Amino acid sequence: MAVALDAAVPGSVDLGALDYVEQLLTALDHEPPRIWAAPGRWDGPVGAPAPGAPAWLELGPWERQAWQRRLAEWQAAYDRIADGTAGQADLQLVHGHACEATYGDPAYGGNRGGGGWQRIGFPEPLHPPARGVRS
Amino acid sequence: MSTADCDVVIIGSGPGGATAAEVLCDAGWSVVVLEKGRNHLIDLDAPHEPLRHFANDELAAHRRHLLGPDPLLEPRTYRRTEADGDRLLVGEVNNLPSTVGGGGVHADAKLPRFREEDFRLRSERGPVEGASVEDWPITYDDLEPHYSAVERLFGVAGDDGANPFAAPRSTPYPLPPGDDMPMAVITAAAAERAGLHPYRAPTGINSIAADGRPACTDCGFCGGYGCPVQAKNDPIAALQRALRSGRCELRPESYATELVLDASGRRATGVRYLDLTEHPEPTTREVRVRHAVVLAGGAFETPRFLLRQGLGGDLVGRFLTFHHQTFTVGIFPEHGFPHGTGGERGRCVTHLHDDLLVDTADLRRAAAAAGLPWVRGGVVEHGAGNMPVEEAVTYGPGRHHLSSMRDSALRRRMWVFTMQGEDLPQAVNRVDLDPSVCDVWGAPSGRVTYAPHRHELVASAYAVPLHEGIMRDAGAEAAFSAASPPQGELDLHATANPLGIAPASRHVMGTTRMGADPARSVVSPEQRLWDVDNVVVGDSSVFVTSTGYNPTLTLAALAHRAATLLVGSC
Repeated sequence: MAVALDAAVPGSVDLGALDYVEQLLTALDHEPPRIWAAPGRWDGPVGAPAPGAPAWLELGPWERQAWQRRLAEWQAAYDRIADGTAGQADLQLVHGHACEATYGDPAYGGNRGGGGWQRIGFPEPLHPPARGVRS
Repeated sequence: MSTADCDVVIIGSGPGGATAAEVLCDAGWSVVVLEKGRNHLIDLDAPHEPLRHFANDELAAHRRHLLGPDPLLEPRTYRRTEADGDRLLVGEVNNLPSTVGGGGVHADAKLPRFREEDFRLRSERGPVEGASVEDWPITYDDLEPHYSAVERLFGVAGDDGANPFAAPRSTPYPLPPGDDMPMAVITAAAAERAGLHPYRAPTGINSIAADGRPACTDCGFCGGYGCPVQAKNDPIAALQRALRSGRCELRPESYATELVLDASGRRATGVRYLDLTEHPEPTTREVRVRHAVVLAGGAFETPRFLLRQGLGGDLVGRFLTFHHQTFTVGIFPEHGFPHGTGGERGRCVTHLHDDLLVDTADLRRAAAAAGLPWVRGGVVEHGAGNMPVEEAVTYGPGRHHLSSMRDSALRRRMWVFTMQGEDLPQAVNRVDLDPSVCDVWGAPSGRVTYAPHRHELVASAYAVPLHEGIMRDAGAEAAFSAASPPQGELDLHATANPLGIAPASRHVMGTTRMGADPARSVVSPEQRLWDVDNVVVGDSSVFVTSTGYNPTLTLAALAHRAATLLVGSC
């Protein structure tokens, strides 16, 4: 998996792409599921959840059903990558995830320390970045 | 009637439904608003403060369907023409948000009015072969007081008199214009050198603190995002007022499935809906009405709802229009623009020009050369706003990735003119029910059949050299253009075109057309269904023509007018 992620976006694994994919594929093992990070706090330490607020937004029951299906399909794609039978659609999926892991919010497990943003000169978002687990 | 639960049920909580709710509650009526999507916008408990669910989070907003609809739950289908068979694709087709606040949540809230000519296009310009160009049954003067009312309600920020082509106004903009995007000032100057008339865009975004919410902070995460500080007004201002009246109940996750009719079949007595807070077997509930039902689910969902019951007549779903979008992309050099074009900070769009909607000798020559009686383009937005994940996906995988991202032609150095080209109505362009694809609750999916008229392609071709020249004059080292939906071989676009093969425009209009003749329209000039007396349509599906202007202010003004007439009629 690491080879495929780094082939898609060089340097993505160093920035946490494996953690990103792991967190994504196990998102429903947590409550609330780690699909949508809640906004972080508006003042104080960067990376802290808003006081008294959950770190992740709730999914509705039907959204949960959709994500169960989606994540199962993605797990199957990564299994095909692992056993060398991946197709073009699987590689396209990995590319998308590598981009998300490199340039998405660090709450999702990638873009370690904001390094993906720093390497392209992207200014860190102004308003509460979606911080979940980086408190 | 003593068993009614409320005076009016409104289906949909976007700009049309929210505006209707505010008018009706202000008149002392009780309202229930049914919204299929989740609520990320406003606390349902008094005092109904904004929720804090939105952040500068590209993944949640653009990659993970936070605003809905999830295409795995609600797939839509698309084909260009009937010759394509049942469909060309299944999945995301022109998905406006399905969430409390509707399309207002994701829009960057450009709220121009239409002009007088837009309501009288057949009289002013004449028919076009192969299209159904008609006058609206109302005039600009009929709608003007409602434009003013909605501008006050939404807190529109604008510059009075800045647009020389604008229709007369009875009231000034309630808020001053917001900050200019620096790059928009540069391209506006270049547009002026080309003889055009750019102006500051009227926007439904707080330029100063107003209505209990803060001014825009120009964070850059605007178009396509929920606002983290709730400075966007049109999704929340009207809903908040309606809820604070104490006469409005908002029910998210409530999927309207059926109009309940009386024995005559000509009067709605209620609405049945699925309670989507329940899973996997949602209960069907019913809310009974005293006076009326307002359909405000948008020009895709409203006809789909009617078609499922066979209501509205044979024209329901037909005359679907989008805006035919032509994108002219300028790539600017680092030298001279050391801070880039600024799309990652600031508002998405602060300037517009309307010149291609105005009758000129040049446009007449272009029309004549193409064998058309006339041609109109659309409002042109000066803006940008690409974020890094979308940019990265566009470049594709491989070793070039990091150098492409650092060079950043498609984000940091990019600026875009987007022309929202007028799309002529055609009966063959429509929303109908897909014969075999269904949503997760078992209802037939909506299917779009759409191909542009030659008029749109001629207008687009006219705009391209003009706008590419302006981009170069503004300092771009390269300029190129693309239009949506793409023409030509589908194989070329199916995987490689970032805009996809279906229309990329989120401006959807015209599927329950308004008219004075029941044989040629779906709703009356009062926006009532011809075949069910107390059902009113309060969204952009009543548009007779698409014009070339962003539709939100006009659909809200129409909802305001329809609700006002409804109150006056009872």
